[in-house]
Amino acid sequence: MRTLKTSEAAALLNVSPNTLRAWERRFGYPRPQRSSGQHRLYIHGEVAALRDALQEGLSISSAVSRAREALTADTDSLLGALSSFELERADLAMEAALALRSLERSVEEVLLPTFDELANRAGVDSAPWAFAARWAVGWLRRAQRLAPAPTRNVSVLVGDATRDELDPDALAVRALELFLARAGARVLSLPVTGVSGLGDVLDVHPPTFVIIAGGHVPDDHVARWAYQARSSAGPLPVMLFRRPAPSGSVRATARALPEGPFEAHRLALGVLDEAPSQKENRFQAGARRVSAARRRVGT
Amino acid sequence: MNRALHAVQIDSHGRPVEAFCGHCGRPPEPSDTQPATRVCRRCGLGLVLQAPKGIAPQAGEPFLVVDSRLEVCAVSRKAEDLLGVPETRAVNRHVSEFLVSAAVESSKPHDLLTQLVTAATSEEDVHTVVVRPVDEFGVRYKARIGPCGPPRAALVVLEE
Repeated sequence: MRTLKTSEAAALLNVSPNTLRAWERRFGYPRPQRSSGQHRLYIHGEVAALRDALQEGLSISSAVSRAREALTADTDSLLGALSSFELERADLAMEAALALRSLERSVEEVLLPTFDELANRAGVDSAPWAFAARWAVGWLRRAQRLAPAPTRNVSVLVGDATRDELDPDALAVRALELFLARAGARVLSLPVTGVSGLGDVLDVHPPTFVIIAGGHVPDDHVARWAYQARSSAGPLPVMLFRRPAPSGSVRATARALPEGPFEAHRLALGVLDEAPSQKENRFQAGARRVSAARRRVGT
Repeated sequence: MNRALHAVQIDSHGRPVEAFCGHCGRPPEPSDTQPATRVCRRCGLGLVLQAPKGIAPQAGEPFLVVDSRLEVCAVSRKAEDLLGVPETRAVNRHVSEFLVSAAVESSKPHDLLTQLVTAATSEEDVHTVVVRPVDEFGVRYKARIGPCGPPRAALVVLEE
């Protein structure tokens, strides 16, 4: 994906950098990403779409609206491809989306909304949904295989509590795993129904924190799995993704992540990036609360 | 007396036209007579449009630009204040959500919309109608309506 610095984007639009920043404030478009040095990076496709729209527009607002419509065409394109069961066209639609956006935004703004619409149209128990969901899971897994090697000293254990890959939350969970992997974390995803031998796996791949993702598996099963994980790896912080908070003692330490996988992965990694002493104190406090709760219920 | 010659822009019918910013309403800077960009260099928040002399807004006059589908395409800064709606929330909405004809005694209650469609689609002269903001009573504005662009649209200038 091609990105532009502020001066380059301003030159393409033939306006000053100040004007571009004023548009960002007033219209929320074009919306830049940030480089590692916190400099604005504009996506070339967004800027080019706005440049074309300005030629035919009557105002900046209407041009922005038209440019946004041009970008949402990718969602329509993917939906059309999947609705007519054309997987090659679906791949092409995602490639087109990637030409204009980062992978994270392509997933959040094109792939996941397409499946929301597909669920409304066909239902999540239908053959068209199964056909499309299998393609999407495959696409996300391919993208994860292409993710760079882990660069952070962070290992995430994802406790998969979805029904299967056709579960409506499964795509968001795969997306979260993909975003975590691309952010440099090591990601290990295991179903929460598999308690036996969990300790052996975690001895080799000790996690830094646990995300329990999906709402299909009942709390009792999840609690047994989480207990086994904590017995093997110690009092790990636990986060919940697309799962209501349990009513038991785990609620005291489990933190609910946002519904969107992009925000969820940022928050999860942000918690770990807090000052070590602060993090340690909070986790110790959480562990103390769990111990106290266990004493109260006599477990 | 300044006797220097200067270029006068004319439309396809040979009528002189004036350029103005669709947001601040001011004419473009002199260096922008042949601009490579349509973005107003004064405020940076509007596109430079053209309208026949006599319809183009004068300094401080609030105005809206409406296309042939009667959807709002631009709202000047003054009109944002007057109508209490920012341009970003007004674009792509039907003009009747913001302005209605105030000529209740008229036998043609759709005068406003008819004039707008006419201005946005054919080469008609300037017309004047009386309008009021939606849900506001006792407030009336004389509005002059005429063509503007590019692309072709109707300009509604509210005369306070």
